[in-house]
Amino acid sequence: MIFNSVVFVIFYIIVTALYFILPHKFRWGLLLAASCYFYMAFVPVYILILGFTIIIDYFAGILIENTVEANKRKQLLLCSLVANIGVLVFFKYYNFLNTNISLLLNNFNARNPLPFLTILLPIGLSFHTFQAMSYTIEVYRGNQKAEKHFGIYSLYVMFYPQLVAGPIERPQNILHQMHENHEFDYANMVEGLKQMLWGFFKKLVVADRLSIYVNTIFDHAEVHNGSSIAIACLFFSAQIYCDFSGYSDIAIGSAKTMGFDLMTNFRRPYFAKSINEFWSRWHISLSTWFRDYLYFPLGGNRVPKLLVYRNFLIVFLVSGVWHGANYTFIVWGALHAFFSIVGMIITPFTKDIHLKLHINKRITDVVRQLFIVLLVTFAWIFFRATSMENAMTIIHNLKTIGLHPFLGDSVSNFGHCILAIVLLFIIEYKKEYLPTKFNLFQHPNIFIRWGSIVSMIVAILIFGVFNGGQFIYFQF
Amino acid sequence: MTIFLKRLFLFLIVVIVIDQLLGLLLSHLYFNQHKGQYAQTTYAVDSANQDIIIFGSSRAVRHYSPTILSNAFGKSCYNVGRDGQMIPYYAALEDVIFNRQKPKMVIIDINSWEFFEGNSKYEKLSILLPYCHKHPELIKYLETSSPFERYKLFSAIYPFNSSLFIATNNKLFENKLSLAENGYDPLDKNMDEAGIAFTKKIIAKEKMDVSVKTAKIDTLAMRFYKQFLQKCADAKIPTYVVISPTIAPENSSIRKDKLIEITKLYPTATFLDFSSNPNYNNHLEKFADIFHLNKKGSEEFTKELVSKIKL
Repeated sequence: MIFNSVVFVIFYIIVTALYFILPHKFRWGLLLAASCYFYMAFVPVYILILGFTIIIDYFAGILIENTVEANKRKQLLLCSLVANIGVLVFFKYYNFLNTNISLLLNNFNARNPLPFLTILLPIGLSFHTFQAMSYTIEVYRGNQKAEKHFGIYSLYVMFYPQLVAGPIERPQNILHQMHENHEFDYANMVEGLKQMLWGFFKKLVVADRLSIYVNTIFDHAEVHNGSSIAIACLFFSAQIYCDFSGYSDIAIGSAKTMGFDLMTNFRRPYFAKSINEFWSRWHISLSTWFRDYLYFPLGGNRVPKLLVYRNFLIVFLVSGVWHGANYTFIVWGALHAFFSIVGMIITPFTKDIHLKLHINKRITDVVRQLFIVLLVTFAWIFFRATSMENAMTIIHNLKTIGLHPFLGDSVSNFGHCILAIVLLFIIEYKKEYLPTKFNLFQHPNIFIRWGSIVSMIVAILIFGVFNGGQFIYFQF
Repeated sequence: MTIFLKRLFLFLIVVIVIDQLLGLLLSHLYFNQHKGQYAQTTYAVDSANQDIIIFGSSRAVRHYSPTILSNAFGKSCYNVGRDGQMIPYYAALEDVIFNRQKPKMVIIDINSWEFFEGNSKYEKLSILLPYCHKHPELIKYLETSSPFERYKLFSAIYPFNSSLFIATNNKLFENKLSLAENGYDPLDKNMDEAGIAFTKKIIAKEKMDVSVKTAKIDTLAMRFYKQFLQKCADAKIPTYVVISPTIAPENSSIRKDKLIEITKLYPTATFLDFSSNPNYNNHLEKFADIFHLNKKGSEEFTKELVSKIKL
């Protein structure tokens, strides 16, 4: 089930209403059943995969907690991790690895005996696998008590708002909330609904609108000139941000209406002044997951400089692989690692550059922000491209100067795209630099408050795209 | 919770009132356009009653001159083609027009690629939303993209989704818009250097495209096509199924074979294929862009079509 569908709206209203009608002891059952229904709306049979990892991790958690011997605890953790990663590798990377084995063996005139499988990737697999893994790791580390209630543990993995595209939660943040009795709270309900509305705006008015132009250009990149491709690349930067952060807003908002606090996943990443800052604002739940479970165990930044760079490279490469079984994602990760490492190397020289140049710091900040947007946008080419060949075509054609960009099938759509980006920029700028001013959604005057909310609903109805566009991150 | 529900109720009333008021404004703006594609569609849906009706996409709009056809056959003619539309739209429009009156001849400009599998051709039917209250028979076509379209129409704004820019432009700059001649809106220009380079790239790419030979066929689109021809056959209306000229010869494909096969099933239907006509293939001077003939090319084509139609 996708958030931007009428079915979800009906589902959400029924589940939320029942949640507050039912006594506390039945609520976990309601949410678990609803989450199963939500997930099975995609491909029903894949719930078995979720079931498999849930059973493994549930028992692994309890066994780890009850085991004193360090080696045995480690073995149990390894079993759990192997099961989770095994499922992920099989469904997500099997054919990719198989192709590469075939290519390798071809060089030695040998034949790959492994068959290619027709596997449909279970939706959101990388997300719920990582969430499940964080549970056993935290139990192993002693930061989280093993969950004894199988239903609650299942709900931890399957909670429908964040099941298919995050935020990737930590057990310390969410598990205890699933035991708590959430009374109806007016403020939570209203704030949650407002956040959902903002998410719908980002998805329907910005992301899905931009996708029309972006798809037109990227799908036929070989015939478009540099200016069209440059516009499409910039549009894609805004599209993927609004698509993913829009999803997160709807997820966080819908959970909040029931009294659950999910972690923040985005903090206006395109205002970042360095690549590292970008990653502290973009997909925060994944960045912090990699930080806690990969970067720190590798030594983090408490090792010599060269090893820090190595750690960054490993984390970004793994992050690339996490996104998809394609070399494009690996290059995307490598590019971010490169940008990040270069950024760290040059920071001492550029830190106070405004003082050296005798110019206002705001000017250098804007230049930095624009530069980061360009770097990130360039890297997105690999993320969006269907293959390395496609990415290279896009980059090649990006160099061809064409003064007349293709405006898409209709100039009206292009106009809508520009309007959507301008609106987005104004709202994001206000949130970033004027957080306490012009808070129309929270304004004490009811006419202004309601007027602004109604305006957003009207904007969605007038400018939104209602074709049920899939969320980009569902594929991961 | 009671306070919340009370406020929610009040808020919903405010939303409904504003929706209905803004919907009225948008409806007024939309239905008071006199030029442009929206005005043409409004005429096609509400009023077209000519003897000869031309159905199709933007290629119909740009390729068929009703004046030439009228003069040749001594009958009134109107081109109800619409940019970006495909088979489901022709079927929907045929339904509405035939409910009003039966024409004496039908021309349908079609392309085999319209049988591709995908939802976009159904989603594009949303341009018919403004007409659903007056012509409820259209709703079943809109429900091919979402079963909830009927309920979304409770909103008075929703039918005018994505139309505000164009409608405002058409109203504000009405004087600058050309008036289509009975739905015919030719492209009075030639391809520039960039257009020619772009076209050559596309032609080269399509030559390499082997997927057309193995592509799947959209069965619902095929059903709409059959329904279209059946309605013409039931009313004994001579129907000309035309693939108008293309810049490069069209590859043979499963879809094209299916199109021909279906057309042959209907005695009133005649299939005319100009897609491999050497008078047009690679004659870039007769094209305004990769998909469309220019005015000169379209007039030449309409005359050639007249010579092949026996009425």
